[in-house]
Amino acid sequence: MKPSNSDSSGGNAALVKRLAALDDATQAMAETRDFGKHLKLRRVLDSLRRVMLQPGGFAAVEARAADLDEAGLFHGTDWATPEVLIPALSGNGLHSENADTVLIEAVSELRMLAIATGEYPHPMVSAEDARQFLTQVMATNLALLFTPPNEEERIKQGRMAQLIRNLFRHLGEKVGYESILDRLVEEIWRILRQRPIQVEQVQHLITQIAIYRSDPDIDLGSAGQGVDRLISSLFGTTEACREDPGVEVYRERLDAMDANALQYEAAGFARAMHDTGLVSPYHAVLLRFLLDESDYLLAEAMGLSSTGRDCMLRYHDLVHRLIEAAVHPQTAQSIYGLALLLDRGILYQPPVAPALWRQIALPLSPYAQERLTLAYGSTPAPGARLLSGVLSILGLPLGVGQGDNPTCQSARALSMWAYNDPDYLLQVLVWAARDDEVIMHFEGQPISSRESTGGVATTLPTDLDPVSLIAVPHLDRIYAEMGRRCADRQGDPHRWVNPEFHGWSSARGFRINVDVETGKLVELDEFLRHFYAAYHPHYNGDQPLIHPQPAGVAVTDSAARYIGWHAITILRVGLDPQDVMRLYFYNPNNDSGQDWGDGVVVSTAGHGERFGEGSLQFEQFASRLYIYHFDPLERGDPERVPAEEIDRIIGYIRRSWGADRLPAGELQASPEPSSGCPG
Amino acid sequence: MSKPEPVRRNPEKGYVAVLGWSLNAVEALDRFDRRYVVVAPDWAEEYCEKNDIPYVSWNFERLNDRSMEIAETLQKMGVDVAIPLYEETVEWAGAINSVLMGNPRLFGQAMLLRDKALMKRRAQLGGIRVGIFEEAHDKDDVIRFLKRVNQTLLKLDGDPNDPIHLKAFDKAGCLGHRVIRTPDEVDTIPDEEFPVLMESHLDGWEFAVEAWIFNGKIRFLNISEYVTLGYSVFVPATPELEKFRPQITQQIEKLIKAFEIDFGFIHPEYFVTSDGEMYFGEVAYRPPGFKVFELLERAYGFNAYQALVLAFDPKTTEEEIEAFFPREVDDARGHAGCFGVYPRRRVVSELSMPEETEDHDYFESHELTAPQEETVTKRTAFGTHWGLVYFFGDNPHQMRDLLKRQEELDFYV
Repeated sequence: MKPSNSDSSGGNAALVKRLAALDDATQAMAETRDFGKHLKLRRVLDSLRRVMLQPGGFAAVEARAADLDEAGLFHGTDWATPEVLIPALSGNGLHSENADTVLIEAVSELRMLAIATGEYPHPMVSAEDARQFLTQVMATNLALLFTPPNEEERIKQGRMAQLIRNLFRHLGEKVGYESILDRLVEEIWRILRQRPIQVEQVQHLITQIAIYRSDPDIDLGSAGQGVDRLISSLFGTTEACREDPGVEVYRERLDAMDANALQYEAAGFARAMHDTGLVSPYHAVLLRFLLDESDYLLAEAMGLSSTGRDCMLRYHDLVHRLIEAAVHPQTAQSIYGLALLLDRGILYQPPVAPALWRQIALPLSPYAQERLTLAYGSTPAPGARLLSGVLSILGLPLGVGQGDNPTCQSARALSMWAYNDPDYLLQVLVWAARDDEVIMHFEGQPISSRESTGGVATTLPTDLDPVSLIAVPHLDRIYAEMGRRCADRQGDPHRWVNPEFHGWSSARGFRINVDVETGKLVELDEFLRHFYAAYHPHYNGDQPLIHPQPAGVAVTDSAARYIGWHAITILRVGLDPQDVMRLYFYNPNNDSGQDWGDGVVVSTAGHGERFGEGSLQFEQFASRLYIYHFDPLERGDPERVPAEEIDRIIGYIRRSWGADRLPAGELQASPEPSSGCPG
Repeated sequence: MSKPEPVRRNPEKGYVAVLGWSLNAVEALDRFDRRYVVVAPDWAEEYCEKNDIPYVSWNFERLNDRSMEIAETLQKMGVDVAIPLYEETVEWAGAINSVLMGNPRLFGQAMLLRDKALMKRRAQLGGIRVGIFEEAHDKDDVIRFLKRVNQTLLKLDGDPNDPIHLKAFDKAGCLGHRVIRTPDEVDTIPDEEFPVLMESHLDGWEFAVEAWIFNGKIRFLNISEYVTLGYSVFVPATPELEKFRPQITQQIEKLIKAFEIDFGFIHPEYFVTSDGEMYFGEVAYRPPGFKVFELLERAYGFNAYQALVLAFDPKTTEEEIEAFFPREVDDARGHAGCFGVYPRRRVVSELSMPEETEDHDYFESHELTAPQEETVTKRTAFGTHWGLVYFFGDNPHQMRDLLKRQEELDFYV
């Protein structure tokens, strides 16, 4: 085998070693006649996977694409004839549960890339065709470019879910985004409308797009309407930073400005921030500068409402101190959190302001410092990074995401507390960040996160917002321990765990429509009627929901097939602008907009949703629900719910996750899968 | 990289027949310069025809009146030697080679190598140390042997017994191998497993040897280190085991002499006790299980099946065989090991590679498949593993510890 001329191993010793194993395996396959190729396949595939998990791995495989092809990697499969491959089908391969299929598909994409770049002159596929192919593959799998794996992918694919995302990043950077720009921009806006706390992926993509646009060799034509706003919100938001001059230059320019010019700058940043949910690093420079100028301009720069403005003035010293400590160009995003925190008026709750003073002065444990530094780097200092995260989570309680981790309950609890009980959230965070130990009580017995052995997650997460990064490992262990303490009880443990874990406001009444032993559906009619009586304004005496309530849903894929259990929060129920009764909920998944099949498509905008909410028509939501809490003393009118409505819901259930769970006589129940992130 | 050139088969060299179907062997022979033919049951016919693999159909049952037929068929084709791939074809190879080579002694030799009780006696006659052994025809024989062995060891009533081992006379490796400690356990042996060979338990370090022999001399001797018998093996062995190489070589030479082996390949197993004494366990005249051939190829770069052909082919030259083999240990590129996975839980639903394993620097690949059924059959005898996991790395001690560590991990949950 010829040595590869474009190795990008770049001194990565692990990659070098893995490549040696790959080359050895490829060589062995190449020497084998067709009938024996499959004997050598296992080692090639396993080596490929290990190479592609390393930084630089994709480039290395791309460089070997021709060798792998000729050695017979694709022998006997559809991929053996790249000229007949169909871009629309590549998504199936990439999302396959079978890791080998994913690998072959990934190498097939890298082979196309090698053909497109001219590295691998292919007799049947021209470079132009290959580029066209990859463009279409990317356009039909956009989500892979910027959202972390969802529940479905995590369960089905494990680590391969991340691998294909890294692959797409590599493809995007090599092929360019111009041809998929319109769809890409649309998708970015859809994500941003949910106002996530973590926007690094989106920022990364916007940066990529900006780089392409600044390349004079690339003609984008009319593509990418709406991309300007995204780019400018990050890099050239206002007059004084239009050409992206760098933060030092910008800071100098501020010195020379009069009040009018500063007002113009402040308003420009505030508008962009509230418009997109993205904050420019220049915005942080301005805000720090304005600390010594005027409170009026400070409020303008944050685009505060009258409530927010009042709040800022009433807690003047605290707000100043928070900006000084937390707002830096690297943590500019926290400005949006601070603005919304002030607008929410939560500083008027007596414990919140003193708790924030404590947070400002909080000494972090060496362990907490290390984890923060590992995840975000050392600038600004870990304490400032955590404080910026506090501002974000308190401003955007529904922007918390679980990252690529099976810890939806912990993410949900953090979100719920930030929304409903902010001083408790701050207390838990102090315990976690300062003491490396959180103690919660379960039915009077203390549970320490330090003594508790294992959580739901097997590895420490790194892809979270700062508050989650520190708190989730503790919460996850406590949650798992509470579950273990219910192990010998009849029925579903969430009945006891949810109220103890989330707090008193989580109602003690509990219903589940799945029999834990058999996995079959039970008491469906009663389950649904009481859900209406507890939550639906027409049957509960027009009572709006007071406290957000934990609930569990059966997540289904776009073909309405059961995927797993998932924890969400019910936030409110009401009529949407089209006068349809909808249930609004928080999903700790990073992107709430999901297609659950059979017409059940979770909406994130356009139906009266507030930022971060997902919503479904009430009956569609009820059709995916399997656990809810309620107050048993509030009866409502379960009998008044029309039978046709219940039947419609059961129809939805029957056509989706309930297909094999209906009571005896209908169909056989399947054994309970142990997957998911239950309610 | 170029397509593999069709190999030019050299008519000056030998013409070999392999007995039994092994795709790995066929694939290796296919890119070697000897003319070859596969002798295998008729279910392999279609595959061989489709892929242009030279093939003669033969169903290997017990040797019978028709046995001469296959020898004569091969002789007419001009075949020089038959090579057994499986335990069951060793006696067939002996019978065929005694015809092809005009040497009736080869058949007797094969019978010795096929029957574990005869084999032990022959070894003992050749001055090789073996444990105590006896044949058992029923359960009473087993109980008597268990008592006698423990009596010999001066055990008192109530002392825990030393175990004894039961093996089928004529099966490969771990198949049918049971360990018996108490008379109660004897009841668990099905009657149809008798007769069996019983052996006393030898405490010590068990290892295996793969030796290629040509013109009565050892041409390549590998020592395979077992980390845990039935679970894991790696090559080359640690320096601690390799330091016995001179004694081991002596033992193999004794074995060659005792069994009058002139050519071919043997795969014996030994125990070395704490005082450095070697005890012979058994020997097979065929490739070992547990993919040791694959491990050797990974470690040394030569194909062990092609080596097999060289060692059997009477037309192989001294120079050719000298040039083929690397130097033992010194020429190894690293240590290659594999681990046989058994599910540790009673009920499993899916294959779940431990990240610890998958991320290890030494991990190379695995051939585990998703479970077919959810309930794991309880292991009575040394059962069959569910698949192998392969490792490759520089440090033999790290390899040994890594293989040991795998025993504590769940691959099926």
